[in-house]
Amino acid sequence: MRKALPILLGLLVLLTLGLFLGLKVGSLDTSYATVLDAIFEYDAQNATHYSIIHLRLPRLLLAFLTGASLAFSGYLMQALVNNALADPYLLGTASGASLGASFSFFLLTDLTFMGLYLPPFFALVGSFAVTLVVVLLGSRRGQLVPSQMLLVGVALSSLLTAVVSLIMFLSDSESQLKSVVFWSMGGFEKADWSNLGYPAVALAAGLVLFFFLQRHLSVLLLGADRAETLGVDVRLIRWIMLGAVSVVTGFAVAFSGPVGFVGLMVPHFTRALLGTTNRFNLIACALGGGLFLVVCDLISRWIYPPAGMPVGIVTSFFGVPFFVYLLRRKNYRFS
Amino acid sequence: MGLCCLLFFFSCDSRKAAAPSTAEFHTVTDDLGRKVELPVEPRRIMALAPSMTEMLFAVADTATIVGRTQNCDYPAAALTKPVVNNYPMDYEKLLSLKPDVVFATEGIISMEVAAQVQKMGIPIYFQAYDSVTDILRGIRNLGFLLNRREKGQAVADSLQAWLNQLAADSARGTRPRVLAITWKDPIYVYGRNTLFTDKLRYAGGQNAVTEVFAQPYPALTREYILKMNPDLIIGGSFDQMEKTFFSLYPELRRIKAYQQKRIFDVTDDLMSRPSPRVVEGIAELKAVLQ
Repeated sequence: MRKALPILLGLLVLLTLGLFLGLKVGSLDTSYATVLDAIFEYDAQNATHYSIIHLRLPRLLLAFLTGASLAFSGYLMQALVNNALADPYLLGTASGASLGASFSFFLLTDLTFMGLYLPPFFALVGSFAVTLVVVLLGSRRGQLVPSQMLLVGVALSSLLTAVVSLIMFLSDSESQLKSVVFWSMGGFEKADWSNLGYPAVALAAGLVLFFFLQRHLSVLLLGADRAETLGVDVRLIRWIMLGAVSVVTGFAVAFSGPVGFVGLMVPHFTRALLGTTNRFNLIACALGGGLFLVVCDLISRWIYPPAGMPVGIVTSFFGVPFFVYLLRRKNYRFS
Repeated sequence: MGLCCLLFFFSCDSRKAAAPSTAEFHTVTDDLGRKVELPVEPRRIMALAPSMTEMLFAVADTATIVGRTQNCDYPAAALTKPVVNNYPMDYEKLLSLKPDVVFATEGIISMEVAAQVQKMGIPIYFQAYDSVTDILRGIRNLGFLLNRREKGQAVADSLQAWLNQLAADSARGTRPRVLAITWKDPIYVYGRNTLFTDKLRYAGGQNAVTEVFAQPYPALTREYILKMNPDLIIGGSFDQMEKTFFSLYPELRRIKAYQQKRIFDVTDDLMSRPSPRVVEGIAELKAVLQ
């Protein structure tokens, strides 16, 4: 706790600064005083106030939730398969979501139903369906076999990527092709108060659950056999981890598209800061992932105004050099 | 008047295409600055873009047009020509049609494809247009390249006369700021540095996008559109846009165009193709602006 507290506070301070700066940045000229006015004395007729509360804030929160969800899921996946290379998309979540979204663009002539925009829900169904297949093929007699699951996930992702490519190839209109391509780039522009609830609830539930199970995660990093001898019900904890990863990642990807690299990098960053077994690791990981994407979204809009370049490009450009530096540090170990 | 002009432009010549010319060649420079060696009187021609096919049908002896791409659907006579896929490029089919020259439009055909076509021994000539008058210049230029100067000149002159008439009518009154949406998710629009800006000038409006972006069709945020607060939106009928655009971005219901229900559909091909029908497109824009 002594080590974690200043780091958690530091992350929270940086996050608050990032959000506040994010509320100031936009097409309409905005001062910090206007940001405070919009928060404390909101005037619905004021276009800047409206933009701050209804456009900028949901966008920032969606970026935060997506980053936090992917980092959280990445941490769990790395513990689940005991492999430093694991990321949340190993379960086929991203490719399943892409397939779901692509199907909606390909099959539906009307993408809205009773005012509801359907592609995120198709993406969600796709991600859950593919995760289920990966889990079924990656388990034997009700027991997860991580290495098998990992290989099935990779193989199935390749297959689904091929199916998405086939859909793109068979697209009879430029519009279908564009839809699939744009979706695969990810982004937060469609953020809306009404669609923040799903990823927020999924993430909060996951964080609370694993705050109490953190000890089991740390033991699991020692290997399944040793964890069993230390009294951990490995089979049960793996199923719980899997459920959490698929739900939290599924909701994040459905509303933002597949954003790469966060789920792989941020867990390593967290362990480098707090060590492998700290009970606040997952909270720090979620805060770090959220902060990272908020900053990346700001950078993307700053480099390429007004819409910003796809955030996945920025996460890789700024994340990879830092990640390489982290891995080259002598005192960093995965487990 | 417009209809008469179009009927005149797309009237077919009855002469049959002759065998590939072995006659004289001359070296010309296309709109991209490339040196291209062409027969002085090409006998077998085709275009690799729908707008260019329209240009050829307006100027060329239509019997010399040996093919079209899968997207070339105007004029109706084009549909009788053999199809060559341009994406991905069907090089073998193109080769089998033995064109003396193919015509392309900047941005539709990549330089990589152009190099391959050239390598097969088929000269490829590019046209590029920054303004409406550039298209008229392109028509005269085709007249020269196809050895049909009079036809090219006549087509361009009559279009110019129609254009002058539209522009004279548009000189009066205020110019509404128009936002033309080309893609809804994410929101892509006709930027400042597109033909659309020039077309609006003749139609009596102005492009609501005043900033020049690196991309001709930039992606915009909802906030940027709220800030622009356009007077009029083009991209679909009010009911269509309500269902497919404003339900996706309810925040944009605050803009003036929505409040005043000034949201209109226009013909896609007239908006997007830099062809002899550009003036017809301007007339359509003018009608929705009034």
